[in-house]
Amino acid sequence: MSAAAVTTERSLSDVLVSPIRRNTWVLALLGLLAVLLVFTKLIQPSYGLAGVQGLGISILPLAFAAVAQAVVVIAGGVDLSIGSVMALTSVIAASLMEGQSDAFGVAVVVGVLLLGVVIGTTNGALVVITRVPDIVVTLAMSFVWAGCALLVRSAPGGAASPWLLNLVIGPFGNPWIPKAAIVLVVIVAIIWIPVARGRFGLSLYAVGSNQLAAFRSGVSIGRTKVLAYALTGLFATLAGLSLTASTSIGTPVPGPYTLESVAAVVLGGVSLAGGRGGVFGPIVAVVVLQIIQNDMTFLNVDPNYALVAQGVILIGVLVFGSVIEIRRARR
Amino acid sequence: MSKPSTRARSLAMLAVIAIVSACSSPAASGGGGSSSQGAKQYTIGYSNGGGVGNGFREEQVCTAKAEAKVSGQVSNLTVIHRNTDAAGQLADIRSLIAKGVNAIVFNPNDPNALNPALAEAHAAGIKTVSVDAYVTDPSTWNLYNNQVKYAELGAKWLFDQLGGKGTVWYTRGLAGHPADSDRDKGFQNILKQYPNIKVVPSKQGVFTGWDPAKATQITNDFISSGQYDHIDGIWASGMGKQIVDAIKAANKPFKPIADADIGGFVSQLLDPTKFPSLKGAAVTNTASVGGAGITLALKLLNGEQVQADPNAGRPNTVLLDPVLVDNLSDASKTQLKAWISVPGMDPLWPLSLSIKGWTTYDANTVPSTCKGA
Repeated sequence: MSAAAVTTERSLSDVLVSPIRRNTWVLALLGLLAVLLVFTKLIQPSYGLAGVQGLGISILPLAFAAVAQAVVVIAGGVDLSIGSVMALTSVIAASLMEGQSDAFGVAVVVGVLLLGVVIGTTNGALVVITRVPDIVVTLAMSFVWAGCALLVRSAPGGAASPWLLNLVIGPFGNPWIPKAAIVLVVIVAIIWIPVARGRFGLSLYAVGSNQLAAFRSGVSIGRTKVLAYALTGLFATLAGLSLTASTSIGTPVPGPYTLESVAAVVLGGVSLAGGRGGVFGPIVAVVVLQIIQNDMTFLNVDPNYALVAQGVILIGVLVFGSVIEIRRARR
Repeated sequence: MSKPSTRARSLAMLAVIAIVSACSSPAASGGGGSSSQGAKQYTIGYSNGGGVGNGFREEQVCTAKAEAKVSGQVSNLTVIHRNTDAAGQLADIRSLIAKGVNAIVFNPNDPNALNPALAEAHAAGIKTVSVDAYVTDPSTWNLYNNQVKYAELGAKWLFDQLGGKGTVWYTRGLAGHPADSDRDKGFQNILKQYPNIKVVPSKQGVFTGWDPAKATQITNDFISSGQYDHIDGIWASGMGKQIVDAIKAANKPFKPIADADIGGFVSQLLDPTKFPSLKGAAVTNTASVGGAGITLALKLLNGEQVQADPNAGRPNTVLLDPVLVDNLSDASKTQLKAWISVPGMDPLWPLSLSIKGWTTYDANTVPSTCKGA
């Protein structure tokens, strides 16, 4: 019996059944979200409009960051430079938009998004060309991009075009629907659905699942990885722009988004080994993490316990995932 | 890149990432001051978006808890004290709005970034008070230390010690920080009045970044390059302890130094055996803005008139004036000793705990109050 052949076969079948598995996880996560919302309403009976609107805008930067991380993790990589890319694109946008017209602001947004693609492509090209592990290359690049951000602006400042603020702050039609949530869903759907449905999406999952098998099936590993990083750069830039849009400034020092995005991806049902998961799960995970944080505020929990709780939840998810993995492997 | 063992690779990666992530990921929190005597009327939220473990920030949160407790008017104080960015603090303020508190007191991460959430707070009828730094939101009250005056007091004392003539080493804080810019303004104001005072390394001074390690490094370099031998006095922005320690380690004679009321520095001023003939002055930079912020919020909630400072340069602003205490007379030494004798004080905390008219707690009980609260 050839172990390699079995492994290959199983991984390929995983690619085929992954939508079902992914949905199971996401459904469970949505269940958790519902339970948390009920729990929140119980401990904070006045939780309502303000809470939901606050939630919508609060999750936006991390939600885009989580989508960015999910794309590259599905392709079998990991990007530790997301937080730095967010800082860099955010300061560039805020610096260029300061005191300029709305039309110029639109040009800035388009330009910065293109820059994000270039940044992501650079990360991906370095990973593919140097063959140094993703985690090392992107960690190194995180310092490069963070340094660039500080060169652009040494202290927080700049401004966002008013239309950018209006795009994400406040309700959309119905007072219960935050604009930020619409922006998130629409943008992610426009970019991700064609990708996931298309040839590139298949290569993405194939490369992340088993590089050798993907290679033998005629998938270009290098090109797929570079494209994945480019897409991650694009989503990281959207995250950076949401920082600018929600705070109206650019901050050169990266926030805690890189590792939080990894946490959201893990909780969102994306396998860190690659090839499994989607971008919807991580977004729900970000909402769950933010609600947990709100509940901590409502319950007056000491920050130290809250940190411990988050770490425990994360490790619990990882252990749970590994147990399922091992059981599947035995079958 | 081949994958000899996917699971081993991923698990190793996960272990590292999960642990690091768990240690650095954010968490909202609390730890409220609570019960004392009757008449509880208000719930207050407190947001501090940075400097967890920093002496000034910890003491500030502590005084807020102490003041809320003794005021008898706060039924619940929710503290969100975590390291985050402006977007994270926006999320924290919005959680406090969702909690339905009556007032939000906060130390802002940025003067402009929090404005949308502050406007939402006002729309919900919540009073907002910014402490330690200002925000540009027109409906928020600002309460912070007068940093221009901080620098003026220390500089004047120092230049007078030198008889109005000599060379002063000008060590600053963090470039671009509003408090540092204000202090520079004050320093330059006084410098203009003393034409025979020379400033090194330049009129712009040298930045310590308020980083103890960097301050020590800068001082060591300054001494080893021989420049220390040619100065007559030092103006410092809170890193006095590190500077004095470095001078002592290099076995050089001390020179008059003006710094802040940090515990470590004041102990040096009061220790003539270890630090013989060290002349120095501590200017208060009280971290009790936290407690004062609670008082201000309660005044606003009770509809009391609050007097804004006309010299602040912005509306709705209360400036707290610093005081200077040196170690040259017995009376002033007694004051320094009183500060430092508060039980449970951390050496990294600023010492002055009470602000007349703004704090009502017993300063001696502050460290123990916040640890218990």
